[in-house]
Amino acid sequence: MSVQTRGTDTAGEPAVRKAPVPAPPRGGDRTPGAPSRRHAAAPYLLLLPALLATVVLLGWPLVKNGLLSFQNLNPRQLIQHLTEWNGVDNYREVLTGQDFWHVVERTVVFTAVNVVLIMAVGTLVGLLLARLGKRMRLLLMVGLVLAWAMPYVAATTVYQWLFAQRFGVVNWVLDRLGWHSMADYNWLGTQTSTYFVIILLLVWQSVPFVAINLYAATTTIPKELYEAASLDGAGGWKSFTSVTLPFLRPFLYATTFLEVIWIFKAFTQVFAINEGGPDRLTETLPVYAYVEGVGNQHFGVGAAISFLTIVALLVITSYYLRMVLKQEEDEL
Amino acid sequence: MKRKLAAAIVIAGMMVSVSACGGDDGDDSGKNAGPDSFKGQTLTVWAMDGSTPDQWVKDVTAAFEKKTGAKLKFETQKWDGIQQKITTALSESNPPDVLEVGNTQTPAYAATGGLADLSDLKQQIGTDWTPSVSQSSVYEGKQYAAPWYFANRVVIYNKKIWAKAGIKDTPKTRDEFFKDLDTIGKKTDAEPIYLPGQNWYFFDGLTIGQGADLVKKDGDKYVSNLADAKVAKAMEIYKKYASYSKAPKDKDEATPQQAEIFAKGKTGAFIGMGWEAGTAVQANKAIEKDLGYFTIPGETADKPESVFLGGSNLAVAQGSKKQALAEEFLKIALSDQYEGELAKLNGVIPNKKSLETNLKGNAVAEAAAPGAAVGGTTPLIPEWGAVENAPNPIKSYMTAVLNGKSPADAAKQVEGEINKRLAQQN
Repeated sequence: MSVQTRGTDTAGEPAVRKAPVPAPPRGGDRTPGAPSRRHAAAPYLLLLPALLATVVLLGWPLVKNGLLSFQNLNPRQLIQHLTEWNGVDNYREVLTGQDFWHVVERTVVFTAVNVVLIMAVGTLVGLLLARLGKRMRLLLMVGLVLAWAMPYVAATTVYQWLFAQRFGVVNWVLDRLGWHSMADYNWLGTQTSTYFVIILLLVWQSVPFVAINLYAATTTIPKELYEAASLDGAGGWKSFTSVTLPFLRPFLYATTFLEVIWIFKAFTQVFAINEGGPDRLTETLPVYAYVEGVGNQHFGVGAAISFLTIVALLVITSYYLRMVLKQEEDEL
Repeated sequence: MKRKLAAAIVIAGMMVSVSACGGDDGDDSGKNAGPDSFKGQTLTVWAMDGSTPDQWVKDVTAAFEKKTGAKLKFETQKWDGIQQKITTALSESNPPDVLEVGNTQTPAYAATGGLADLSDLKQQIGTDWTPSVSQSSVYEGKQYAAPWYFANRVVIYNKKIWAKAGIKDTPKTRDEFFKDLDTIGKKTDAEPIYLPGQNWYFFDGLTIGQGADLVKKDGDKYVSNLADAKVAKAMEIYKKYASYSKAPKDKDEATPQQAEIFAKGKTGAFIGMGWEAGTAVQANKAIEKDLGYFTIPGETADKPESVFLGGSNLAVAQGSKKQALAEEFLKIALSDQYEGELAKLNGVIPNKKSLETNLKGNAVAEAAAPGAAVGGTTPLIPEWGAVENAPNPIKSYMTAVLNGKSPADAAKQVEGEINKRLAQQN
């Protein structure tokens, strides 16, 4: 800590620089180099806490998970603390099974549908925020932040109540509006209707993030550009596509990227709404990994599935990753 | 209360002398297992939701603390997801010392090596345990748990609603029961019966009644038996029951708690455990005076419906460092006095024939007893435990049939999953 403080100090005030440097115990020739070396180390030192946290909280579990995926680990082995290596058996079992590929396909489609909806609705709400008057903007903002701040499980429980079969508000309203056949409709009875509820929940939860981000992006657009555009005879649509959109593009890419990750790995909501049911038809990859691994107490197989999930996510996001990396390079 | 305490002291005193006689029963971790050596220790017991009435906990704790000088801590667990929880707990270095384990799940745990061998204890206190109920805890010739109590489902009904429908007597056959439910539906605005689509324990009873089992042996391994015509017949009966209910077809009896639905007073009956009546009363005190019980009627008046004999065993964690203390607890909890008290308070079947006198005058137990006589369990094999894991394929089968699939098609749909789970290596 003291090193860091000193480092920052030296950067600001050259006069103080010499004071903390100790008398030359290591030989006079090294003294001139020392401050700049320390200077060079400062960013790494500043990164250290974050890196350490990542390694401890993410890296280590990941390594452990990787090791588990090559083991035959069931309740007996877990309870007796036995380690039974079984090579790539778990991966072979998963990859040659029908279930896994169904789930992958389903997860990809699920992610695509969600992300498209989230980006479309989120962008529209974001643009709306930019056009609204002060008071309405504040109101909408508060609403968005509240939706965003709602804990996952609480939100999921509320949605379960809304769509409950016998006493749910949604069925009651539909019944009142004249759809009497919906009075006792079981939303969690089929794959499509369960997905409808889950997607609605996920979109509702994600829209605030996208909307607020894009609203923030619009505030960076200089007003003069619109004036110039209108002088050149651009209509509403034209000035949107040639002024607003180019400014928003990097934000759109970044949020899409984040949303893909967020939806792909969404576990809490998908599992809590109907536990991947009915008949395991709404299991996405993370839920599948949980049901096979923890639920069926087949921990090694579960670990293998979760590893494959990471690989699948990397493949899906590779396009964006490459773009982001390229952008970084360009900027350098 | 005073008298009970006095009795407890007497019993505790007797216990001390008994254990002094059999004091040399192996060299468990508790050296000099005198009462004082346990001072300062705390024994943790995991009991399931509904198993331990408050009065019983109070009495047993008093007796235990008096005798051993150690503290006793009960922690109540929910059935939902219990297998994962127990597996994790048993793998830890500091597991709960004593656990209540469901009878159908006991063989699977015995096979994991997570439960301590209680064969010696059986020699001391269990020679007169009813063999049929002790059987689920025996694995490869060793006793891995002590049978604790058994219970089966009965019909719990709302007398007021039945009286309103003009029904005078409780039904003696299944057809009479259906007719009564029909009458309730027509003459009152109540839901005749609350039966969610996934009360698979009731369904298991129906299959036993048809003389079938959920799995069968194929060579040296077990496979699904859902395609059996007898199972299909059982499912048809279930479907007929469910047709009198508006309960969700894809939920079990615990989500929402059926007793709490019943407690609202708009349900004619439900099929449940005796203790669920207590849950209903807790939710709505006013329902207490309207509660009635009867045996689930069978095809004919002379033979009631078969039921799933739910039961619980008490096991000691192999990883517990308080083996001797845990055995002390089992000796007290399973003593004639407290085993009898549990039977009396909860209306459950005790682990010894001689204690069944405690059930006299208990309406639930009297309704349950005839069913228990023709009851059964799921196959008591280690492979079975995996089938009960969520999502339980038996439940998926039931929902599929109730949603209009033919039993044969529904059986085909889940067979792969069941067989996969039955073949799962340990």
